[in-house]
Amino acid sequence: MSDERGAGETASLGTLGARPPFYRDATVVKWLSQVVGLVLVLLGLFFLASQAQNNLEERDIATGYDFLGTALGSDLGSGIDTNPDTSGRALWAGMVNTIRLAIAGIALATILGVLVGVGRLSRNWIVSRTSSVFVETLRNIPLLVQIILIFVVIASLPRVTTDQGPIHGWLHVSNTGVSIPRVTIGDGFYQWIIFVIAGAALGRWAMRRQERRHDLTGQQTYPWLSFAGVVLAFAAVGWFAHPALGWVGAIFDAIASGIDALTPPIVQVVISLLAIAAAVQWIRRFLASHRTPAGLTKLIDDDWFRIIFAGAGAVLVILFVTLGWPGLSSWVINSGRDLFEVIADKFGDGRTGSPIAAYRPDIEQLGNFPNYGPAGLNLIQALAAVYFGVVLYTAAFIAEVVRGGILAVPKGQSEAAQALGLRRTTMLRRVILPQAFRVILPPLGNQYLNLTKNTSLAIAIGYSDVVQVGQTVYNQTGKTLEVVSIWMLFYLACSLTISVVVNFFNVRMRIVER
Amino acid sequence: MNQGDALPTLADKPVIERVATRPVEETYRSPAEWVRKNLFPSPFNSFLTVAFGLFVLLTVRGLLNFVFSEERGWDAVRTNLRLIFTHAYPEEQYVRVWVCVGVMVALAGLSLGLFAARGDGVPLRKISNALVAAAVAVAVGVVLREPSVLIGADGEVVRTDDAVVRQSFADAMSDRWGWWLTAAVLAVIALGLRRVPALGDGSLRTIQAFNLAAIALALPVLSAWIYPWGHYAFAEGEFIAEPGRTVAISTKLPWTVMWVLAVASLLVGRWVRSRIGEQSLSRLRIAVNLVWLAVPFVLYWVVLRDPDLDWARITQVDVPLALAFGVAGGIVLWWLTSDGIGELGRIAALALLGLAAFNWLAAFMGWYPMLQKVRISFLLLAVVALLAHNFSGETQKRRRLLAAWLAIMAVFHYFATIMNTPSTVETPTEALIGGFAVTLVVAVFTLMLSFPLGVLLALARTSRLPIFRVMATSYIEVVRGVPLITILIFFVVILPLFLPANMEISLFASATLGYTLFSAAYLAENVRGGLQSIRRGQYEASDAVGLSTSLRTTFVILPQALRASIPPLVGQVIATFKETSLLAIIGVFDILRMANSVIPAQTQFLGIKREGLLFVSLVYWVFAYTLSKWSQRLERRLGVGER
Repeated sequence: MSDERGAGETASLGTLGARPPFYRDATVVKWLSQVVGLVLVLLGLFFLASQAQNNLEERDIATGYDFLGTALGSDLGSGIDTNPDTSGRALWAGMVNTIRLAIAGIALATILGVLVGVGRLSRNWIVSRTSSVFVETLRNIPLLVQIILIFVVIASLPRVTTDQGPIHGWLHVSNTGVSIPRVTIGDGFYQWIIFVIAGAALGRWAMRRQERRHDLTGQQTYPWLSFAGVVLAFAAVGWFAHPALGWVGAIFDAIASGIDALTPPIVQVVISLLAIAAAVQWIRRFLASHRTPAGLTKLIDDDWFRIIFAGAGAVLVILFVTLGWPGLSSWVINSGRDLFEVIADKFGDGRTGSPIAAYRPDIEQLGNFPNYGPAGLNLIQALAAVYFGVVLYTAAFIAEVVRGGILAVPKGQSEAAQALGLRRTTMLRRVILPQAFRVILPPLGNQYLNLTKNTSLAIAIGYSDVVQVGQTVYNQTGKTLEVVSIWMLFYLACSLTISVVVNFFNVRMRIVER
Repeated sequence: MNQGDALPTLADKPVIERVATRPVEETYRSPAEWVRKNLFPSPFNSFLTVAFGLFVLLTVRGLLNFVFSEERGWDAVRTNLRLIFTHAYPEEQYVRVWVCVGVMVALAGLSLGLFAARGDGVPLRKISNALVAAAVAVAVGVVLREPSVLIGADGEVVRTDDAVVRQSFADAMSDRWGWWLTAAVLAVIALGLRRVPALGDGSLRTIQAFNLAAIALALPVLSAWIYPWGHYAFAEGEFIAEPGRTVAISTKLPWTVMWVLAVASLLVGRWVRSRIGEQSLSRLRIAVNLVWLAVPFVLYWVVLRDPDLDWARITQVDVPLALAFGVAGGIVLWWLTSDGIGELGRIAALALLGLAAFNWLAAFMGWYPMLQKVRISFLLLAVVALLAHNFSGETQKRRRLLAAWLAIMAVFHYFATIMNTPSTVETPTEALIGGFAVTLVVAVFTLMLSFPLGVLLALARTSRLPIFRVMATSYIEVVRGVPLITILIFFVVILPLFLPANMEISLFASATLGYTLFSAAYLAENVRGGLQSIRRGQYEASDAVGLSTSLRTTFVILPQALRASIPPLVGQVIATFKETSLLAIIGVFDILRMANSVIPAQTQFLGIKREGLLFVSLVYWVFAYTLSKWSQRLERRLGVGER
């Protein structure tokens, strides 16, 4: 329908012959069809929204997020707060469970996936065959089936006994789940971590120095070793000396009171200025990319659209901050203050214990039956099923990503490395892996996203992640629309975070091109 | 050798190609050498070999012990096979299910005969090796499995203080003579295959892949005549297992018919292919593809549902309506494609679009009543009218457009009538089918509906129309950022809130809608990958020959882009197939729910879950693995990325 020639070409054509009627003008048709499309979509959404409003009024269901502050009549299976006061608190506990599951899952799935992926390329026949069977079995069975199968298998294991195995005191497996040693943040952790950060800063400086020396003289100077040495030395000293840093809390207290002194209008102005600055920056960069030695290139209507879109985005942000949700700025102030007060609390006040605490799992007998005590890290049945299900399934996909990445490095690279006389380990470390990593990273990020989203299958076996808690909440309050919106925002935020992190590394790893 | 003799003549060409594509025979290595090179090349590798070998042996032993344990309730699976595959579809109407399977099997055989090239065949040596490996695996498995438990006179397992009593090792080995015999038979067949003489060109040393598949499929069919698979009945609202009758009674004949049908249709396909010319062959192939598109709808709505047609209404309303639209629309289209209509044609088409849109607006506002299919017919007419200017000019082109329009109307009105007619098949549950059938139906409908949507989204995302691009991008990114289960819950729980008060939507429909919209976003990303692989020159060349945007997209860009995105699209098919297991969470009686909730609730099989779940895993695995292997072959054959 719409011809996609630029406005400039159309104009020059127009000078040749008679101008076409306005409804045949490419630019007019292009924009008219888009506006009509937009209006149709908006009309459809408006129609659905009005229907929803009618239906909700008919059923006497009020909309709004007030239910987040009201009491929830049921307990959660596990999490930071198993007996939450309000629905909002319950959803928050569910989100924390999801995030924990995702982070721990990503860590283990990466390790396992890399091992299996490298194993598939092994020259050892039995290793490569076992890895292939692992991958081909796990990735062709739906994750939900696997999770339920693991759940059922755990349920059929023997009950907890006082001499539980397989390795008593270290690893307990029973129909209640799995119990393993727990390593947690100790009393003086935050004071100690300041030592470590200082050590890292100093170590980085030392590493740079060694690298420069290596570049200048060609001597082997082991820069990473010096970095690790400095950090370890600081950590060792800090392990005993950390109570000396109790005064750091006062700094954070000062920041907290500084934030508290801000008034909402100031925050609104700051956010607005930031939005404007971001838009201006974007437009300047855009124009700079269109600048040639001969001057600014002709901007077609699409370019103008982008510029207007950036400006409109800034205006929307400002309108939202000032008119749409004025409470946002006081919320920002309050949570900023709370954050720094919480951090300040972690210092001083007789925090002299060791920074990191470790406990071994134990078994206690309170009633008739023995059960896992609170010392160890207890993966209850449902958690263990989701965790191992998600980890094994994602590991199979990560293994394929890793294998593909390594195979994607041209053979000439390893041949060249051999010709230079590099040892096999040096070749892998310096030549193959850096190039493979560049190929692996984007699909790896995708797998991390999938893992995070797949934790939502916990709903099938009743582990209290954000989706399962949300279901409990809407079953009790009837606020389905609101709960689904919270789910979507939460998962979008997770996806965005992972994309930003992966993209950060992606940009760092990119080949520098001229 | 004389240089001149080695030069290939034109007639030799196929032979030469065949020789060139055949893999080079590996140089023979003695088993000891193979073991040293592949298992113990270095101390570290020897350690790995031992560690992994132990791990594999223990895993296989555990699996065998579980599967063949006397305490396993495999009866729960084999008695409920029909439940697992079709849920509660009534037994007296079951022939309808067999008709569906038969149509699919016959079409698949026909397509294979028409499309697939004869390969080089599988060397008998390879089959012989596989059989030897199978024989060794059976023998190792027999030794690995722990001795059976003793069964007392009362039929219960003999126990002494919490532990079961097992046979002695020697007894166990001699009791498993059937398995030893199996291994021996396999080994004998394998050795016999090696003795087959090489005739002339060596034609007997290979076997055609189709023949091999036919033999392989014949074995399970044969097993139905020999082995007693289970059976269940539905009485007074409960499923009753009938261990005496087996499902083989009712399935061995149908499965035999299916096997014969598959082989016969394959042969027919080949015969037809060898008889007709190139042009009619390609026409036939297009026809078969179109039949594939229509078959899922016909099978589900016509064969399985058996609609209770109201002939009075059909003759008085439906047929006249379809005829009226066909004739009136045909006249409009004929006029729109006539010579010299120019601008007027476009304005008329736009006016038609406006009329179609107005009908919907009027429906929302409640201004005047109108049958839904009339509104849709108007919309279809408007869309075809907008494309009509591409067909103006020659009489033949105009006739084709007219024929296409009549076909569209016939198909659309036929399905609209069928879908609006209530079913006569009475099932004890709300849904028509369940079990694996519902998994397949949802997967197929999702793919068929999400494909056009996904292509449209991909085109919008890569187009130069900024507002459409922003809308498509935000839709795709939002859908890809949230888990499927939240979208399914949205459609199942919240969708009824958004519908007009008098409108209802079934669980099946809302779930399929959710899957479709979810899958479309992922499909769009795959197609976008294909679109981005199209070189700029293709666009410039189409502009140079004066194609309009719609012609350029349909005939130049999309064919190449879709071809390039076939491998990821097959991956998406597999993903969608696996995702259908989530139906169990939202309350559809799919195959997973059968194994996880329905069978464990039967009085005979209380709490038996693991066996059913393992069987479900196996079913999913067989389908997904076959598809993924096929897609790998396809990828190699298309040579994507090598061009």
